[in-house]
Amino acid sequence: MNAQNLDNKPVVKRESKNKIRVEFDRTPLKDRLKAKFLSTFFLKNIVLWIFRLVLMVGISYVVLNPFLTKIAASFMAPEDFVDATVRLIPKHFSLDIYKAIISELGYFTAFKNTFLLSFITALLQTFVCCLIGYGFAKFKFRGRNLLFGLVVLTMIVPHPTIQNAMYNSFFEFDILGIVKFLKGGGIELFGYNLKELIPALENINVLPDQIRFGEYLDGAVTRYSVDMMITQNGIDVTNTFIPFIVLSLGALAFKNGLYIFLLRQFFRGVPDELEESAYMDGSGVFKTFFRIILPLSIPMMITVFLFAFCWQWTDGFYINLFYNQVKTNTVFLSWEFIDIPSSLNITYAGTQLYNTAIRNTCGLLIVLPLVILYSFGQRFLVQGIEQSGLAN
Amino acid sequence: MTKDVNLMPSEAVAVQPMKKRRKKIASLDRRKARAGWWFVLPFVLGFLLIYLPMIYDSIMLTVQWKSQVTGELTFVGFDNFISAFTTKSTYLQTLLTGLQNLALDVPSILIFSLFMAIMLNQKMAGRGFFRAIFFMPVVLSTGIMESIAAMDTLSDSMSGGIDSGAAEVGGEAVGTGGLMSIADIEKMFSGMELGADVIKFITDLVNNVYDIVNRSGVQMLIFLAALQSISPAIYESCKIDGATSWETFWKVTLPILSPMILVNAVYTIIDAFTSTQNVVMSYISTVGVDPAYEGHGTEVATAMSWTYFLIVILIVAVIAAICSAFVFYQRKSD
Repeated sequence: MNAQNLDNKPVVKRESKNKIRVEFDRTPLKDRLKAKFLSTFFLKNIVLWIFRLVLMVGISYVVLNPFLTKIAASFMAPEDFVDATVRLIPKHFSLDIYKAIISELGYFTAFKNTFLLSFITALLQTFVCCLIGYGFAKFKFRGRNLLFGLVVLTMIVPHPTIQNAMYNSFFEFDILGIVKFLKGGGIELFGYNLKELIPALENINVLPDQIRFGEYLDGAVTRYSVDMMITQNGIDVTNTFIPFIVLSLGALAFKNGLYIFLLRQFFRGVPDELEESAYMDGSGVFKTFFRIILPLSIPMMITVFLFAFCWQWTDGFYINLFYNQVKTNTVFLSWEFIDIPSSLNITYAGTQLYNTAIRNTCGLLIVLPLVILYSFGQRFLVQGIEQSGLAN
Repeated sequence: MTKDVNLMPSEAVAVQPMKKRRKKIASLDRRKARAGWWFVLPFVLGFLLIYLPMIYDSIMLTVQWKSQVTGELTFVGFDNFISAFTTKSTYLQTLLTGLQNLALDVPSILIFSLFMAIMLNQKMAGRGFFRAIFFMPVVLSTGIMESIAAMDTLSDSMSGGIDSGAAEVGGEAVGTGGLMSIADIEKMFSGMELGADVIKFITDLVNNVYDIVNRSGVQMLIFLAALQSISPAIYESCKIDGATSWETFWKVTLPILSPMILVNAVYTIIDAFTSTQNVVMSYISTVGVDPAYEGHGTEVATAMSWTYFLIVILIVAVIAAICSAFVFYQRKSD
């Protein structure tokens, strides 16, 4: 085709200052269409295109279908659940389920608390994992590989395995026996208590027996307050945010090993020259990190933040573990939140289905904020992971 | 360092400053190493002060009995492990089922996520839209949605006779009802000479599609990122040399992706094994309150989960060892 055209020299038809109009003999339209649409190349492509589209739409349907059925069921009135003709589109449209959940289960209080908890922990985890990931990526120190092995270990050991120990350690929270010392328990060294040498240690009692937690940190956001008991064994910090914050600070919370891994890979991809030039200009290691590296890694940090936030939001395990006293209250959007509001507790032929629909609606309301957040943040997901240069 | 840069070229060649420079670089390295410790300090502190005591307590619990009344611990040796395997023999069976599920799930998740990543990497209309949908399970389906699905299954199985049309609306059409029944598959494969196991395998796979799609989000992300970092120049040169896309996939894409296949395999195993939804984990969580263990259910459950942990670690190590023999590492471009 092209060869033909090259033989016939193009004719310049009109020439102005800015435009040139060239005309040359073209192959007839019929031939051109034939060449384009009847080639094996085109046919192969169109078959592939259709195949791909069908597959994509099919799998999207598999992903979205549970949500669609749940959304459809959430707008149904009780009558629709016994009506065999109703499948996806409700006959009697009603918002009763939503109204009941929002007013009777205290959706907004639970929302506020969950948001606060998820936001604080996600922020802390992102920051701490950034620090750790950068440390692993850019500095060669002795024991680095061993330490990274330990990070992987924290990821591998399933938290249900250590849940009893975890609960106990926060039920009697005491680091290095500091609380014990301040409560007059003396200092334990190799199974020997210094208290017997220095009896004066026993008179130390600077901590109160009880702290009303609600008044200090939690009062503004929750409807209850918790007394933290302080004994010689430690402080009872369960039913507060403290276990979550402590775990986040130590990068020990849910899937933090993955975040460290991702961030390490990302920082490895950042060219060393960048830091070297900063060091040349007299910037210290930390200043370089905060002023140069962190601003660079915002997409990656958003990715990690999104993971941390969403996984904390949908978590039921830790909430159940650490908030054991407030089961009756609807404090968080978690397991306990999934309940049947009393005004909807009716008994009829479709009770089973109706209750399932109510529980599903609770679930929908729980993930709704995440869907909104995700729709804004999803472009960072691929971008962030792309930048991490995981393939190198 | 600053001083070195200011040196005139003629001075830099001289012998004496060379010596000086080497010394200085060493000290900078040491200073950087120290800074490295500062960066990883949160983890070191958290690990030593919080995590290690937990692990220690948890392991100690497996060889002790905690009194329900006084909370005192008595050393019992391996009794907990023995009763884990003997009191109710179902543990061993559950363990085997769990490992069987793992063997089924891991390859299917890996292949599916690789396939989807390749699909999503191609230029097509609405790619961003499909990406958004496929990655949605990553953020949404870790905890609550799964537990609701589990509760649905429970209520459905308890209630029994609900007519299927209504069940599909109220309950979960995909998770519990199943996309295909065994009968359909058997009809499909009746012509072929396949064993019952193969048919069961395929039915399981088909019925688990939703589960597999949900669980392969992170893996898909990792594969996609790896695919995008392959230089287009490599594909171009393959094309020029006349390789078909099939050959290009096996000879170029797969070797470059192989380190990520290893990472994803390990991640999938860990993810499947730490998930509270898995057979063994949910079995273990029922042991804690089981009266058959005479109030020592917690200790036996801990012993069980540590055995399970050891087995999975072993599997991960074996798979990592086997895979790493086949992994191809691209030499980093200089």
